[in-house]
Amino acid sequence: MEQKILDLIFQIANEFNEQLENKIAIHQGREAHLYGRNGVLDSLGLVSFVMAVEQSVESEFSVAVTLADEKALSQQNSPFQTIGSLADYIKKLIEEASRTSG
Amino acid sequence: MIEFLLKVFDENKNDDAIIWRDQPFAYSWLTERISAWQIALDKEQVQAGSVVILEADFSPNAIALFLALIERNCVIVPLTKSIAAKKADFMEIAEGEVRIAIDDEDAAAFEKLPRQATHPLYAILRGRRHPGLILFSSGSTGKSKAALHDLTGILEKFKVCRNRQRAITFLLYDHIGGVNTMLYTLSNGGCIITVQERTPEKVLEAAQKYHATLLPTSPKQTYGLSEVGILRSKSKSSDSLWVKIGGEGFETRIVDGILHIKAQSAMLGYLNAPSPFSEDGWFITGDEVQVDGDYYRILGRRSELINVGGEKVYPAEVESTLLLMEGVDDVVVTGETNQLSGQIVVAKINLSTAENLMQFRQRMRQFCKDKLAKYKIPQKVILLDQPAYSQRFKKMRL
Repeated sequence: MEQKILDLIFQIANEFNEQLENKIAIHQGREAHLYGRNGVLDSLGLVSFVMAVEQSVESEFSVAVTLADEKALSQQNSPFQTIGSLADYIKKLIEEASRTSG
Repeated sequence: MIEFLLKVFDENKNDDAIIWRDQPFAYSWLTERISAWQIALDKEQVQAGSVVILEADFSPNAIALFLALIERNCVIVPLTKSIAAKKADFMEIAEGEVRIAIDDEDAAAFEKLPRQATHPLYAILRGRRHPGLILFSSGSTGKSKAALHDLTGILEKFKVCRNRQRAITFLLYDHIGGVNTMLYTLSNGGCIITVQERTPEKVLEAAQKYHATLLPTSPKQTYGLSEVGILRSKSKSSDSLWVKIGGEGFETRIVDGILHIKAQSAMLGYLNAPSPFSEDGWFITGDEVQVDGDYYRILGRRSELINVGGEKVYPAEVESTLLLMEGVDDVVVTGETNQLSGQIVVAKINLSTAENLMQFRQRMRQFCKDKLAKYKIPQKVILLDQPAYSQRFKKMRL
């Protein structure tokens, strides 16, 4: 699952890089910065990025996750820092969702 | 009341007035049919001033009866199948006293309803001895409002001769656009080409077969309001959102950023909502506009504003921009709550290209880059399989 999640984020990073002046350093893999310190997305960019990821997760895993909620914002380490941290966070949410749905 | 129409009918008596199910109906037929309806209405004791629910779609009898009811100074409440779910509500709001249903075979059924129409607006109309028309606004949000029009005012503008057209009744019988098409076509001796199904294939087929010269389809080209009628609009250029609106019988002004319209064919008011008129008689559209000389840019309703991180976004502006993109057939823009930015701009799109969501988003951002401020570019895009318009050609925002 983890690889699938990463692939999906890379795909969207690719999509966004077309229009970004400072591009997401996809070649750095999990370490590629998204938002925050060393990040390349501004806050509006992050919103669009996160929405796109949510939609892809939903169509790939048939589970609706909300990435941008209070939980994410209150994490000590923002899940939006790098591609890796975002992938981990998504994995956690998907697992939680599948546990609660039984 | 309809003498001017009957005169046109007489001048064109051998020409086709209506094409219905591949059958032509001449103007002489229409004139006779109106008289026949008068006899039937007498027999059913439908008095002047009666509120008549008219369940029909465009058909020879539906058109003849509409005109007969005008001649009789009745209040017409046209209802089509498109509002089936709300029919009982609408009949109640309109205080319908008589119901006439015209079925798919063009046969009519009468029913007296156990109700008396006592709304004060009806009293005003009856005092004038004028015919009336109730049109329900489909309302993209909230409740449908019943607007009462004085038909004398609506008919007035059709007394001026214009081009004769062979028009397809693409718009509905109970829609301001449909009524407009019907009266325009008949008042110029043109031909009403009816369609049983309003699918693109059927409409095009009928257009070719019967040499249509006019296909009025509402939402994009005109600024139409059931309250005041259809205003002519002219774009600055084909890809411009700036339009000139108005035309004969209409005046416009801007008050506090909001478009006001003064129309000859103004309605009397709503049966079930407060008056939308200013004290000096202008219709307050509620649409916010920008002005550049004679041109307006219609931003949309203040109540539909989307707040993206403190910045205001009008759905109409984003919609009009996206509609300029190749392959975008329909689009509805709404706001969605989001923890990061308060709200986000969501575009639901009917796409006729073979792009997937990612490809489309990329093209959209590229396209919008120099046309919309960054916060106005939809942060979320949903591709729809179904048209984004309701059956009544109004955007569904809910």
